[in-house]
Amino acid sequence: MNELLWVAASLLLVAFGLPLARSFDLPGRIAVAFAGGTVIAGTLMFAMSVLGLKWSRASLLIPAAGMLLWALLRWARPRWGAAIPGGAADRDRRQEWRRSTWLLLIFALAVYGAAGARMTCGDLLYFWGPKAIHFFEARAIDVEFLRFPHYYLMHPDYPPLQPLALVWSSVMTGRFSWWGAVLLAPLYLMAAVLAFRSLAAPRLGAEKATAYAALLAALLTFGFTAGRAAGGADPMLLMFEVIALSALTFGAGREATIIASVALAGAAFTKVEGSAFVVAIVIALLFVNRRAVAAALPAVILIGSWILFARHHGLLDSYARAEKPLLFDRLGHVLYMGGWQASYRVMYLPWIAALGPLAFGRSFRRAALPLIVAALSLGYTVFFYLHEPEPLWWIRASAERVLLTTLSCLVVASAAASE
Amino acid sequence: MSRDALRQIVAGAATLALCIALLHRYYVRRGPYFEKPRTIVEHVDIIDHEARDVILLAREVAPLIPPGAQVTCFEPVDGKHQYDGINYLSAVGLLPNHQVLPPFAAGEDLSAAEVVEYVIAVREPFDHPAYSVVAGFPTGYLYKARR
Repeated sequence: MNELLWVAASLLLVAFGLPLARSFDLPGRIAVAFAGGTVIAGTLMFAMSVLGLKWSRASLLIPAAGMLLWALLRWARPRWGAAIPGGAADRDRRQEWRRSTWLLLIFALAVYGAAGARMTCGDLLYFWGPKAIHFFEARAIDVEFLRFPHYYLMHPDYPPLQPLALVWSSVMTGRFSWWGAVLLAPLYLMAAVLAFRSLAAPRLGAEKATAYAALLAALLTFGFTAGRAAGGADPMLLMFEVIALSALTFGAGREATIIASVALAGAAFTKVEGSAFVVAIVIALLFVNRRAVAAALPAVILIGSWILFARHHGLLDSYARAEKPLLFDRLGHVLYMGGWQASYRVMYLPWIAALGPLAFGRSFRRAALPLIVAALSLGYTVFFYLHEPEPLWWIRASAERVLLTTLSCLVVASAAASE
Repeated sequence: MSRDALRQIVAGAATLALCIALLHRYYVRRGPYFEKPRTIVEHVDIIDHEARDVILLAREVAPLIPPGAQVTCFEPVDGKHQYDGINYLSAVGLLPNHQVLPPFAAGEDLSAAEVVEYVIAVREPFDHPAYSVVAGFPTGYLYKARR
């Protein structure tokens, strides 16, 4: 019960993100608000640490209440006095529930897998959890803890959003929860899938959007299980990546650009690979839609601020490895081992599932962005592995998780090509 | 059959195939399937996870160590300390009220006055003249320095 309360506390993050998505259906609105709220709250917590202010329930909930009030005022104004839709809307809703049955079943499987300890990430125990607990104890980003030389393997300069999200619920409930950290993975999965569905629906229609959302949900649930991702940062990273890519692929106008901006900032603030994803998006946008490149600006500012903070406190490590040479003589090993791990021991089923519908695609122009990003994400994955003198253990430990980025891009591409 | 319908069928079949693969993966990761697991890593593989024992052991030993005390954690090899990132790093998170130091703080070259006060030895016994055993559990032992 305590664990459920802890997970429920993370839903308070929705308050921060509510002003972001106004034109979606309710599940999509909550999904985008949850993702956006995670980024906004994480940025606030980081800023408070920079300024030397301690986190507390009051100091975190007062800004959340302010954002909630703003969102309510924004939403409520034009709707007051509007007519309530009649029977046709009810029929649509019933059809929508029928279409969503698959989706709900897959969500239930994801919750079962996380609650049954069948998809837990070892890194939760080795560094995400210890970081979050010590940040929670210090009520701030604990620089002394990160600087302690014998905790070096916990990656002192790694982006902090994942531990900050764990700290949020800990501050709200007064305790850290290992089970809560694991159970956040299905929540990130649901947010990614529901936001994708809401972003794709105006282009594809509700039925098709729901079908591809179910495919994405099945792919991510299987991937989280095969790659043991729950409690690590990958579920959160994938949520941001899917939302950003879907907003840029299907969305149009200011709202979609803002959602993409916030999601890209979240990706960069979650994992080093998130910054590489932002670069991949920018490169792809240069070919597809140059006007949208500005969406990456908040990500650059946020991760730039974190790198400056890390440098100021002598924490730089991962971001200072650019000088490490690329070991091209390991390319054969990386491709062989990466190729083996990419099979997920089910004869490449996730790849076949993601690419299958693309074979019957029609609108490849629409699919260009996710296809380019998919190719670039494969490229930077190999690039990262080529920096490690002994990459085999690393590939074995992580490839099934990091390749989910490429697979998610391919599902978005398949959906886009079906327009 | 229209291209659109075909696409829907392919997407549906792919979803179904992934769900079957998922259920199979859940199945091979061993039962019990409907009981609350003892640890967060209980069913992540077909064999026990490398950190399972330290999770269970930390629960047992934490109440026996005074808050703020210095402690290290590792799986001894031939009764000696070794650098053991899995158990040591896990202990940093599992024992937030204690100061967890690296395994070399219980090195054989250190005297009784220099060694870390408590040692959590995962699975195997620890053999060091400066320590005496405080308690033993199915998943390991707790030692305290003789001072």
